[in-house]
Amino acid sequence: MAISRRALGLGLLGVAAAGTGGYLTLKDRPEFRGYLGNKAHLFGFIGGEKQAFLADPDVVHALGGYGLELDARVAGSVEMVREAALLSQKPQFLWPSSSIMVDLARKSGVAIRNDQVVLNSPVVVYTWGPVVEGLKKSGLVTVAGKGGYNQLDLKALLDAILAGKNWSDLGIDELYGRARIVSTDPNRSNSGFMFAGLVLSLMSGDVATQELLAEHGDQAMAIFRSMGLKSSSSGKLFDQYIAGGLGAEPMVVGYENQLVEWALADPARWQRVQAGAGAKPEILYPRPTVYSAHPLIVIDPAVDRLLEALTSPTLQQLAWSKHGFRGPLGTVAGDADAIAGVRPAEIEAVLPMPSADVMLALLNQMDG
Amino acid sequence: MPKTLTSVLLLAFAVLLAACNSSHVQFSIVSGSENTVLQPIVEEFCAKQGATCTFAYEGSLDIGLGLQRPAGLDQDAVWPASSVWVDLFDSGRKVRNLTSIAQMPVILGVRKSKAAELGWVGKPVFMKDILAAVKDGKLKFLMTSATQSNSGASAYLAMLSSALGGKEVIEPGDLDNPNVRETVSALLQGVERSSGSSGWLADLYVDSASKGTVYDAMWNYEATLKETNDKLKQIGKEPLYAIYPADGVAVGDSPLGFIDHGRGPDVEKFFTDLLAYLQSDAVRKRIADTGRRLPLGGSAIQAAPEPDWNFDPGKLVTSIRMPEPAVIRKALDLYQEALRKPSLTALCFDFSGSMEDKGEKQLQAAAQFLFTPEKASEVLVQWTPSDHIFVLPFDSVVRANFEATGDAAGQAQLLADVADQHAGGGTDMYACAQQALQKITATANLSKYLPAIIIMTDGRTDGSADAFLDQWRNAPVRVPVFGITFGDADKSQLANLAQATSARVFDGGGDLAGAFRAARGYN
Repeated sequence: MAISRRALGLGLLGVAAAGTGGYLTLKDRPEFRGYLGNKAHLFGFIGGEKQAFLADPDVVHALGGYGLELDARVAGSVEMVREAALLSQKPQFLWPSSSIMVDLARKSGVAIRNDQVVLNSPVVVYTWGPVVEGLKKSGLVTVAGKGGYNQLDLKALLDAILAGKNWSDLGIDELYGRARIVSTDPNRSNSGFMFAGLVLSLMSGDVATQELLAEHGDQAMAIFRSMGLKSSSSGKLFDQYIAGGLGAEPMVVGYENQLVEWALADPARWQRVQAGAGAKPEILYPRPTVYSAHPLIVIDPAVDRLLEALTSPTLQQLAWSKHGFRGPLGTVAGDADAIAGVRPAEIEAVLPMPSADVMLALLNQMDG
Repeated sequence: MPKTLTSVLLLAFAVLLAACNSSHVQFSIVSGSENTVLQPIVEEFCAKQGATCTFAYEGSLDIGLGLQRPAGLDQDAVWPASSVWVDLFDSGRKVRNLTSIAQMPVILGVRKSKAAELGWVGKPVFMKDILAAVKDGKLKFLMTSATQSNSGASAYLAMLSSALGGKEVIEPGDLDNPNVRETVSALLQGVERSSGSSGWLADLYVDSASKGTVYDAMWNYEATLKETNDKLKQIGKEPLYAIYPADGVAVGDSPLGFIDHGRGPDVEKFFTDLLAYLQSDAVRKRIADTGRRLPLGGSAIQAAPEPDWNFDPGKLVTSIRMPEPAVIRKALDLYQEALRKPSLTALCFDFSGSMEDKGEKQLQAAAQFLFTPEKASEVLVQWTPSDHIFVLPFDSVVRANFEATGDAAGQAQLLADVADQHAGGGTDMYACAQQALQKITATANLSKYLPAIIIMTDGRTDGSADAFLDQWRNAPVRVPVFGITFGDADKSQLANLAQATSARVFDGGGDLAGAFRAARGYN
């Protein structure tokens, strides 16, 4: 008989309990899952910024179509490729938010079967309407000829911060005091980590090497010192930006997809913000910027199917249209219309990150 | 098959039962006192859910220190005034899902006629203007203790930032700069009364105003000033005019976060539902009505400006950048050890017969905590050499007068003096209070100190308060008389004394060190 007595009983229970919402609870119970489908369970670690994507019912459903169910636990990108406590749990895959992490994983002795960038999100600067207007006047922000998005001369901004310029010197009279930009803590969170690499390369005038670090590291560190208290995660910093507004968080570093995701999470709220009289959130694309790539590190052969699923048009489309993640080459899946008022920039100037060794040396200096 | 059916029905029943039980959640929140006004809004939600909610109010730094203890806090949720204190103290990452509910700038409210006299109405005012007014003896203010309460810490950090002359953030070396120290120390000379709680300080202002003592000014949250002014208007007193220091203020983000004690998914679900409720449009509007800022809420949500006292929650304020955790910690030590206004404290220790055994032991333990710098500094209530301390052991009379400055040798001497005392005799705390007040008023340069009397007793006393209160009313300064009680002491006599002198009574029965820390926050 195909259906066991126990399975039949559970089916009946499902019907009986469906009205109370108990069905969903049962479905989530690992011991019952096998009866509700024949799926492969994969366990691994992911960066927190992909949590909402993987929890999206449409994504869960699409992965289900591939016969996949994920037990994806959130961990910092740096720690998931280095911490013995995490690696000893024998993850079948790792999904950090930077390509450098593949090198670091290899150095930690992770047996990498395959790795491929599945999603991308450029590092951007979040700010507010009045700051954009001011920076346009002072020439630090220009409108890209192609695409019409706002691009920021990040090097010029960093120079202004190092020179102790005030907001008013940059054309922003609404804010008092020194100009500043804030990222997450590079030692804990990937967006700060990537921003540190970008800052060092900009200060060096080229993709940073050990020699350039020796020469320009002090300037990069001065930028980070001027930030004061730094958040431990990109999600937290973005929340602070939204909650704090122009006066508290004039400029923060984040991923492009964060505002898209925030807007899509509550479209009515987003419309209200757009229609309101207050300062509105704005994205600036640093020129050049760096891409936060999200490489799927395959350890177990069973994960091959996940790689196939995530790079499929269906999931790539969901990643863009619902969560603002770009595809493997930084391109936008499906139609490239503005979503949630965010116009996808065709980013032309992208810097590669400095090598893993240079980044580790920079982090060590910052720590000390 | 019938057997299976029975078990199915039983299981289904169990599932239903579990669903019903989920509404009987017990949920506890520890919060900064500024959120008292939001308690009814939270309680409505608890009632709707059939949950029992309890609230405890503590200074934000005390909440932080609680998180730092290995055992952590007992409550299910924390709601301090600023996430800085969670970042700083929650090294074990006990708090999850910390989410800002509102933004609360810490500003200076100045009695409107005083603000006009200082020429501050309708003009941008900088910290240097406030400093000049304090130095000229034209302005004094109420401010909570920077080492206990977020509003005091915020005002203090804004003073430090300003003293650096517009540097982007305070760095470790800056705190050694003599000019910075001198400027901030001079600003803190303006402190007239302190407390461990922003809510209590606001109540003190209104209460004193109703009794005829009108203080010049108070550092507090913009929203708390609105509450205070609403009350002042009701009793026909002039409002506090809002001064938003133009060179930057610290803004509390009033975050609510969950502490998982493993009490099951219902408790965590209750928390996430509460968070969603507080973020719903209707409730956001009610929160904004209290004067709290909800950026991106738009003008439809923001409370209406009240130009008569310069209140405008839509007004852009530049916030200071919070320094690195190590710098904040160093700044707090610096406040406690060097920059705060020195304390002039008279401690009345009850050594009457009823204190024998347990009471005496507790008192000696209290002295050990108070006069051992390593212990006191752990919770940021250490003395400094500029402080002046009197210890008056009493029974039916005052047995002796011990006196020392707050340096290590002075504290050691006081500790030895107290160790020689043993319980015996009757009780008259009023006699001790009278002598304590004489000692305080006879001190040279009295205005340089923040004076207080602290009486530690196990309860009932002989004698009468009348003579003391006469003497108190005629004293050149208002000296608050705080009480710390032992065991199941009858608090009524102490409470009356505290009430008459605008102070309060702390229960030392459970946690004597905690009671002392609390009392020291007001001194």
